[in-house]
Amino acid sequence: MDIFTTFKVAGSALEAQRIRLDTISSNIANVETTSTPEGGPYKKKSVYFETTPVSFGQHLQDSMEQHVKGVKVTRILEDNSPPKKVYNPSHPDADQDGYVAMPNVNVLKEMTDMMSATRSYEANTTTIKSAKRMALKALEIGR
Amino acid sequence: MQPIQAADISLPQPDTKPAPVDRAGESFSSMIGDMVANVEKQQENADMAVQQLHAGNAKNLHEVMIAMEEADISLRFLVQVRNKALEAYQEIMRMQV
Repeated sequence: MDIFTTFKVAGSALEAQRIRLDTISSNIANVETTSTPEGGPYKKKSVYFETTPVSFGQHLQDSMEQHVKGVKVTRILEDNSPPKKVYNPSHPDADQDGYVAMPNVNVLKEMTDMMSATRSYEANTTTIKSAKRMALKALEIGR
Repeated sequence: MQPIQAADISLPQPDTKPAPVDRAGESFSSMIGDMVANVEKQQENADMAVQQLHAGNAKNLHEVMIAMEEADISLRFLVQVRNKALEAYQEIMRMQV
């Protein structure tokens, strides 16, 4: 386990949070999309986090190393809750009763989720900064 | 009074022993050489990462930054080792014979 392990772990979290922000931006962009290639309105996407070992090969026999895990987005899930129905008979996607199926995206929830993703990203960059500060402090021992 | 039996005390042993590092045949210069080569590799990694970022091939901005930080810390470490070695050399040169 070296000083760069922190960088690897926090780096994996940064990537995971970036992918989370990608899905949030997709949700917000498609908040009024009524038509998709699969048919029906856009469905809200969310990420699924899973732990991942940080290093392979020579460090794996280190028993401390096995407890330190990175994070990875392994799947992107679709929310299958029913779409919102809005009465708008002039819309091309309206059904025979005049209702249009709108995406099941709640913009307020997406905004709070986005803030959470941003804060997590910041927290992990702070971890990297801390690790760097510790390494530089260790180098000061020799001075 | 009962003397403490040494055989009764057993310290927890680590399950895996780290591989013994054989440094006996290695000279100081080869160690420094390895270190310089390692730092060189880190710098090359950082350079590659920056180039890929500019070419639009990098997937993540933070990976480039992390590669640069790793290169920076490695270089600073090398400089510290060099300072120490030089200090030791000068100390010996100042010695009265």
